[in-house]
Amino acid sequence: MSAIRIEALTKSFGKFRALDGLSLTVEGGAVFGFLGPNGAGKTTTLRILTGLAHADSGGAWVEGLEVGKSAEISSRIGYLPEEPAFYPWMTGIETLDTMGQVHRIEKAERRRRVDEMLEMAGLTEAGKRRVGGYSRGMRQRLGLAQALIHRPQVLLLDEPASALDPAGRKDVLGMIEGLRGQCTVFMSTHILADVERICDTVAIIDRGKLVANARRADLIARYAIPMLALEADDVDRLNKLATEVSQMGWAHAVAIEGRRLTVTVKDLAAAQRELLAQAVAAGLVVTHYEQVKPSLEDVFLRIVENGKESRQL
Amino acid sequence: MEALKPYIPYLIPVIFIQLGLMVFALVDLVRRERTKGPKWMWAIIIVAVNIIGPVVYLLAGKDES
Amino acid sequence: MMTALTKEWLEQRRTHRLLIVCLILLLFGLLSPLLAKFTPEIIKMVPGGEQISQVIPPPTIADAVVQYLKNLTQFGLLLAVLMGMGMVSQEKDKGTAAMMLAKPLGRTAFILAKAAAMGASFLIGTALAAAAGYYYTLLLFEALPAGGWLALNGLLLIYFSVYAALTLLASTLNRSVLGSGVTAVGFVILLALIEMIPAAGKLLTGGLLGWAGNLALGSAEAPAWGALWVCLGLIAAALTASVLVFRRQEI
Ligand SMILES: Nc1ncnc2c1ncn2[C@@H]1O[C@H](COP(=O)(O)OP(=O)(O)O)[C@@H](O)[C@H]1O
Ligand SMILES: [Mg+2]
Repeated sequence: MSAIRIEALTKSFGKFRALDGLSLTVEGGAVFGFLGPNGAGKTTTLRILTGLAHADSGGAWVEGLEVGKSAEISSRIGYLPEEPAFYPWMTGIETLDTMGQVHRIEKAERRRRVDEMLEMAGLTEAGKRRVGGYSRGMRQRLGLAQALIHRPQVLLLDEPASALDPAGRKDVLGMIEGLRGQCTVFMSTHILADVERICDTVAIIDRGKLVANARRADLIARYAIPMLALEADDVDRLNKLATEVSQMGWAHAVAIEGRRLTVTVKDLAAAQRELLAQAVAAGLVVTHYEQVKPSLEDVFLRIVENGKESRQL
Repeated sequence: MEALKPYIPYLIPVIFIQLGLMVFALVDLVRRERTKGPKWMWAIIIVAVNIIGPVVYLLAGKDES
Repeated sequence: MMTALTKEWLEQRRTHRLLIVCLILLLFGLLSPLLAKFTPEIIKMVPGGEQISQVIPPPTIADAVVQYLKNLTQFGLLLAVLMGMGMVSQEKDKGTAAMMLAKPLGRTAFILAKAAAMGASFLIGTALAAAAGYYYTLLLFEALPAGGWLALNGLLLIYFSVYAALTLLASTLNRSVLGSGVTAVGFVILLALIEMIPAAGKLLTGGLLGWAGNLALGSAEAPAWGALWVCLGLIAAALTASVLVFRRQEI
């Protein structure tokens, strides 16, 4: 049984289709990155999974229970909204305690869990203060703590690190990474670096549709275009080389950035054989040569760009 | 007016509550970082509009979080 | 439900709603008999008021009851709208409702806890006003019949609850606090317009208050059971509508 199964989900706001037949499966235990540009429909999907919003058609299952049919789901999930909001007149401790009460955790256990969660979120000191005075990073960590208080099986996180500064992002991503193996994490984001850091499986959505879904490594292997890069000091000759290389059958696109020439290639083997030889023939002194490892960003841009082109046609 | 003199002490708790409410609202206004609408406007409302001013501020003028 | 109630009650206290309701209702409990006593003297001080004051009879306990009803209904209505308008809409707008309702907390409990907490604040405030009004009327005039006075305040609490429930419905229907306030005022105006129809007026809050006034003076005249049932029905209908709307709503 998969942790989350989404089938042909659609959701419109007026005439605008926010979700357009989205289907997706998340295996239990995964740290799953739900990736897409702004407005792709990530928040809408998460809101449907939590029962806060209703789909127009299609279905979703969490831990085998159908969303909208089973009230049991809300006990199995932990949810961190994009902008976690708390009652400003409660203290951090009271907030977590109230959430624990909602989950019907009995008193002694609740007190223990509240302390544990405060500790994990680094809020032990701040717990006695009113939440109204918390910083954005503290609220995000408290949000994660309240989502975890009842040891959920599935954790739904909406852009958990996107609004934070680098230090805050590191804290939150570290906390999420620490959950690997404890529960299934389904995390939406538009920031690739976050996914590259902690997710083992990735789905990419764009305009309410799934465009890719695979293990992170497979995705890179499948979609990334191989790239070679070469550096030299003689810029004139480098430019000349660029013109020559772009005529070659194995080259896809050539770009120069200062003293660095990058070539995306169609035929890696041929390119590896010929590029350096051509550079030497052109009289260049090569200072650096490498095969560039594609990043998820390259894959992402390529998939989303492709989508745009095919829609324009 | 003479006839009312003996009743003046009865007004003390009334005035006490009114002033207390106004001071409470003003203290809250000064301490608060953000309000719905400009602070000076609320200050005028609290002081000028008897009873209703502080009540409207305390129930609808504060912007928490 | 208990959790939701605990939270709402804590909110009433922490955000000073309870304190404000208590202070305002207490204030007018004290002030109303005083105003009744002072009115003829105040008129005397106005230029040309001397002659008029000759013809107005000296103030009686009935004037005190009229003042009490007039002031408390006005300010109770204001409090109900100001307190109730943000109760649901602000939680939707700020996102706290989403936070709570993604958890195993029923939407019905969420709404009813709010109604109960607001009702409790008004209950305590009305009790204070009743005690204060009784005491000052005793000092300035004479003793009110205790049973009748209790009945008046009971009916007053129902009057407050009608507007609190309607405001809660307005707050459920809207996403912004301002919109809720406008809708709530719309409900108040609508009710006032219906009251203008003589036949309907007797069956609404007007009839309720007339009865309350008589009861407080120990008279059994003009009982308005019809108005009582209509008002209770209105409260139940507003709460049911809130719950039904809220259960379907996207948060
Ligand atoms: N309540 C709403 N009313 C109207 N449009 C909405 C609403 N919620 C989302 N949308 C639209 O649906 C699209 C998808 O939104 P969202 O799911 O928030 O995207 P993401 O989280 O991926 O950035 C956006 O274009 C957004 O403007
Ligand atoms: Mg979003």
